[in-house]
Amino acid sequence: MAPRVGIVGIGHCRFGNSSDYDLVDVIAYSANAAFKDAGGLALRKEVDQVIVGNMASGLFNRETAVASALVSRMDMEPCPAELVENGPASGASAVKMGYMAIASGMADVVLVAAGEVMRAVTGWEATDIVATMAHKEAEYNMGLTLPGFAGMVTRLYMEKYGLTERDLALVAVKDHANGAKNIYSHVQLPVTIDAIADGPSAGVVNNYVAEPLRMYSTCPVTDGSAALILVNMDSPKAKLFKRKPVRIAGIGSATDTHVVHNREDPLVLKAVKISSDRAYKMAGIGPKDISFAELHDAFVIFELMNSEEVGFFERGKSFLAVRNHETDIDGRLPINPSGGLKAKGHPVGGTGVSQVFELVRQLRGEAEEGRQVKDPKYGMAVNFGGFGNNVITTILAKD
Amino acid sequence: MIDFSVYGEQTPHISGWRCQKCGTLYYPAPMVCKKCDSMRDPTTDKGWEEFDLEGPCTLLTWTRVWNLPEGFNKKFLLFGMVEFGNGLRASGRIEMEGDPKIGMKLTAKTIEADERPGKPVKVFVFS
Repeated sequence: MAPRVGIVGIGHCRFGNSSDYDLVDVIAYSANAAFKDAGGLALRKEVDQVIVGNMASGLFNRETAVASALVSRMDMEPCPAELVENGPASGASAVKMGYMAIASGMADVVLVAAGEVMRAVTGWEATDIVATMAHKEAEYNMGLTLPGFAGMVTRLYMEKYGLTERDLALVAVKDHANGAKNIYSHVQLPVTIDAIADGPSAGVVNNYVAEPLRMYSTCPVTDGSAALILVNMDSPKAKLFKRKPVRIAGIGSATDTHVVHNREDPLVLKAVKISSDRAYKMAGIGPKDISFAELHDAFVIFELMNSEEVGFFERGKSFLAVRNHETDIDGRLPINPSGGLKAKGHPVGGTGVSQVFELVRQLRGEAEEGRQVKDPKYGMAVNFGGFGNNVITTILAKD
Repeated sequence: MIDFSVYGEQTPHISGWRCQKCGTLYYPAPMVCKKCDSMRDPTTDKGWEEFDLEGPCTLLTWTRVWNLPEGFNKKFLLFGMVEFGNGLRASGRIEMEGDPKIGMKLTAKTIEADERPGKPVKVFVFS
């Protein structure tokens, strides 16, 4: 039987613009914070394996071999260290690899750290670099970008289910209300529905990015990092850490077609459905057991579609739940209490670890006043690689 | 007399692919047939038939992108996803005045584009 794996240390930097700083320092900051949270920086000498998540440091920063650089920067040699790349799901993949290292018996303590410094380049370059994960011949070469695909899928969803631009704005208002209270968020300002949808200047404040998606339907370009310390809960080493472990109850992942137009129905995120089914099965629970969720909302349409694929709402009905405030922080199923990618930000390779960081904070009861979920038992995170073609779902439990 | 002209070859086109063993159509090219497991060797294409993917198609969805990537010196571009009569789908640019409509009939052609550094690339234009 595989050992139980828990998280005993978490670290995070303030998301935003870190372009004056070196990527390795940005990731090391969160790693140091995770050790401090776990009981002290000397605990880094107990680590058996370092796994780093990053998507494109070679393109954003002209910097490679980040895992090797990190162990050296943190005085952790000769600890083994590897880099995991899975596009914007690199972070969740790093968590999965950390879990596998412990479950396999090869390690008892793993540092999982992830981050990205995207604002080292212009917004135009960042958009282009992120688009390189699309199919080279059939998508990237056409000039298509991730916002472009999200715009096309949003239009399809609107046509089929009656979603409106105002519904998209309601998701953003909810996410920004949460993000405004999160000390780690990139955007710490709440927005009103009047400012971005109903008022006379809404079209100027909330301009189109990829029609029908507007600026407030889209995540910002963000720098930042997060880190976790994973332990074998059944090992004597677990007693070295002062924090009670938050258990990793389930991890599932799945892939879908690389080319978006080759999906039978572009409105179906098959990899999200399969990955969440696998995570539920491993955890021995179902959608009704989830207390709150962090869902990959690089574009707010993803929050809605993800919430349907993981079984929270019927297909085509999730935006009605948003209208009814069911996904608010005090609703029956809070979604993106951190502010999500929309408000907290999306440093692509770092996002998956940041989502799990938020699950731990919520399950410990350590979120800021006004955005703490009431008495949570299970938290779920869904992290997207590509346009939903490589997805990892992680479920944590408070035992 | 030797004719060195290569005008025909310079006309840009984008290919669809047919597995000759089972007839399944593809765009873009696969490395293995999902139906009969036939392998494609991209240096010989033996066992696979290449054909031009162009002509009449139906618009499935579209967007107007205002934040174009590096190198695109335009205010915006229209993009769409279409379906051809043979069932193959493709994504590419749309050239037309005003807003497209889902379900409208378009015609696909291929151009060469050079917005990004490096060799020009082949791009679908639906109009």
